[in-house]
Amino acid sequence: MNAPLERTPYPVARLLDGQARAILFDAAKCIGCRQCVEACKDWNDLPRGDTGRIGGTTWLTIEPPVMEGQSSVWGRNSCMHCQFPLCAAVCPVEAITKYEEGPVVIDPARCIGCGFCIEACPWQVIGRNRAGGKARKCTLCQDRLAGGVSPFCVSACPAGALEFGLLEEVRAQARQRAAANGATVYGGNEAGGTQVLHVLNRTPAEHGLAAVAAQRFPPHRVGLGAILRMLFGASGGLSGKWRALGNALRKPWRLKYRYWPGRGG
Amino acid sequence: MTAEEPGMAQQVMAADDLFPATRKTPLPGGYMGRILRVNLSTENFEVLPLPEEPLLKKLWGGQALALYILLRELAADAQPLGPDAKVVMMTGPLTATGLTPGGTKMCAVFLSPITGYTLGRAATSGFWPMALRAAGYDGLILEGVARRPSYLYIDEERVELRDASPVWGLGTRDTENRLRELVGHRDARVACIGPAGEHVVPAAMLVNDYNHNAAHGLGALFGSKKLKAIVARGTRRPPLHDKKALIDAGRRWRKVLEPTVYTVQQRLKSPGYGGLWGAITRNNWRSTVITDEARGFDQNRVTLRPCFQCQRLCPWDVEIGEGPHKGKGGHFNAGSEWMDTFYNLGLKGNDVLQLTERINDLGIECGHFANAAGLAFEAWEKGLLQADRTQGLVLQWGNHASVERLLEQCARREGWLGNLLAEGVEPLAKALGGDAPQWAVHTKGGSPAQHDWRPRISDMLDNLTGSGGMKSQGGGSYAVSPRDLANTEQWGPLDPALPEGWARSQMLAEQLKQACGLMGCCWFALIDINAEDALNSMMDSLNATTGWNMTLEDARAAGHRSMILQSIFGAQHGWRAEHDWKHVGPRFLEPVPDGKYQGFTIARWLPDIVQEYYRLSGRHELSGRPLPGTLERLGLEEFAAWAEREARP
Repeated sequence: MNAPLERTPYPVARLLDGQARAILFDAAKCIGCRQCVEACKDWNDLPRGDTGRIGGTTWLTIEPPVMEGQSSVWGRNSCMHCQFPLCAAVCPVEAITKYEEGPVVIDPARCIGCGFCIEACPWQVIGRNRAGGKARKCTLCQDRLAGGVSPFCVSACPAGALEFGLLEEVRAQARQRAAANGATVYGGNEAGGTQVLHVLNRTPAEHGLAAVAAQRFPPHRVGLGAILRMLFGASGGLSGKWRALGNALRKPWRLKYRYWPGRGG
Repeated sequence: MTAEEPGMAQQVMAADDLFPATRKTPLPGGYMGRILRVNLSTENFEVLPLPEEPLLKKLWGGQALALYILLRELAADAQPLGPDAKVVMMTGPLTATGLTPGGTKMCAVFLSPITGYTLGRAATSGFWPMALRAAGYDGLILEGVARRPSYLYIDEERVELRDASPVWGLGTRDTENRLRELVGHRDARVACIGPAGEHVVPAAMLVNDYNHNAAHGLGALFGSKKLKAIVARGTRRPPLHDKKALIDAGRRWRKVLEPTVYTVQQRLKSPGYGGLWGAITRNNWRSTVITDEARGFDQNRVTLRPCFQCQRLCPWDVEIGEGPHKGKGGHFNAGSEWMDTFYNLGLKGNDVLQLTERINDLGIECGHFANAAGLAFEAWEKGLLQADRTQGLVLQWGNHASVERLLEQCARREGWLGNLLAEGVEPLAKALGGDAPQWAVHTKGGSPAQHDWRPRISDMLDNLTGSGGMKSQGGGSYAVSPRDLANTEQWGPLDPALPEGWARSQMLAEQLKQACGLMGCCWFALIDINAEDALNSMMDSLNATTGWNMTLEDARAAGHRSMILQSIFGAQHGWRAEHDWKHVGPRFLEPVPDGKYQGFTIARWLPDIVQEYYRLSGRHELSGRPLPGTLERLGLEEFAAWAEREARP
């Protein structure tokens, strides 16, 4: 039995070759055109509109939420594909899988819509489907990745602000660009390391990014309301609650990520 | 379908034989399937089903489909700015799929208020056409006159004509910002008129997304209808026949486009499109030589600001970095006619960018102003115009303050000169008297696109045969036949100094660019029709979207239909082919006055070369009407009444 893997508090799987990959976002090159935002909607068949805020139908935003051309500093806001995804750790039904290549993916068939992940995500980049209430977010185009091609947002960027490659190479590239331009790298250490690295020329806040502690499973809070709704509400149905209960009984050590508010990993 | 809640526009599924209540044929991919008819007088809104597939297969969308509807609906005696005037606006199947470059187009058609006898065609890109489709509509039919200044708000099923008093009088930039606030949606898109449209300046524009303009007097129609703006938003997207194939074709198209993608560096040094062949319009077309027109541009901060999902990166924003306008911003499209506009008045450098921002905010078509004001400046120079008629302004070449003030006067029709600048170069020349009419540049009373086309045979043909409002039907200077058409067309390279072959080149380029527009795409994304895969990737995009199996010959036929429908519309309103070479401002046909093309003119080959173009495209060389065989070949027999009775009467 592979002990370390077994103690990972969420499902882990392999998509391709097991080599970690990452997106590189270079804020200095971003022109705020939002072609990545619309490309995300195109690939995932999400409705147009509401491009200003993350939600069930918008998985990627460019910050600040002003019209194109009305800011000189832009930021990318979407799932960071944490190496140690808290969203997956708090999911009571193991609906969120971490792929070795990078993607953190919610399985809509297994999601019961409890909203734990939405509340726990340090970047608040998980939305909720209006119909059904299930959690939705960026998948790092796991379906494209399985075929060996880049995420659609990356391929759409007309300004060269997005790149995709092996994590180690992207990390080196990010460091190099940051050093050359007096910029900083964001995402390398936050939440224990992510697979979306940003090269920022201003503070993270100016690029619309949250300050997140440099530790795995940083302190978080799943509200009592969400817990009670999950336990006693209609969401997820009886079968969902049965699955949550089964998981809790089989892996009780995982409960600490969910039910001890403020608990870090 | 009736109103679902109070305050919601009443929508009725209406139908006649053009808009079928029950479809007999399936709706192809790429279409939203609905046209919104807006009667501004009665505030009645009808959702019309899109015509049946056989008609869509002929006309595709855009200008041709819009014009087909206009031909059916416009009263024979309707005046361009009268209460019976109609505007039909149409996207195409590739608009807003998001998966090809240039899928951004909307084309509006109407009887031109500038010429009074030709088709007004106002095309625009940016984001607004996408928003109209996101709201669920392929197109709009606007009719009637609003009781008070109004704006139209379209949010899917919610269609409302709202009070525009909070924005009436504002420039296009403030209008756009304010309306977005008023409707409460940050991603709502706005197409609006500025003061010029409100004062019904014949060449007023409809301005959208800060940097795009639907010209040819569409803004005047909006003003005459008391319609300040159309605000659109929504969540819908056109259904796709084969998304995977479309992504692949779009990727190929994008690859074709790569060598022509605009860069910031170009914007920091280029004097505009005329730089390509080395001639610009200066001092009312009396000099073409490029000097230091681009001075100071290299001090600016430029940001490329592409249209919806297009990678050519044409539009751009500036923050001026030097001189008296330092710190001011501007939003520009790619055409750069606006640069030649102010070069034509003797201005240079960042004065040009600052004034362009003003003219777009006021909403005046730049060529219209360039040629009327250019004539006024020349009249001042030659003593035909004095300060008593300029409200004290001194019209010396390059006088920035006078030009800035003239723009305001033109937009609001202030004073003798302001009103005549608004009316256009022909009325101004007549009012000035003397030799002034000889100094005028116009085509059919409207403005050619403001570039010095005189050294370029094909572009001259394009502008002369166009309907007289800035943007022609589509063409360009292509000296070699397209590679993708190698099995049917092989010619070139043509000699730029001789007329042979250019009429054919122009006709072919027009067919292809029209086809591109009809599918809802922008010609700027089809800039190099000769590039390998340029046409094939475009056709594969159309077929993947619609599920059709169109060939390039079908594309040429569709483009050709659009050209023929334009002629039929013109014929109905008094246009004849002869107007193309007879109703032209003399200076436009004068030999190039200086520079490397000095002495060149296509006038020596007129009217032969224009007549050759009409013959090649199956139209009569004097009347411009289609020949019966042309209508038959294109399946437009229903317009037989407007055909030339005999090939050579």
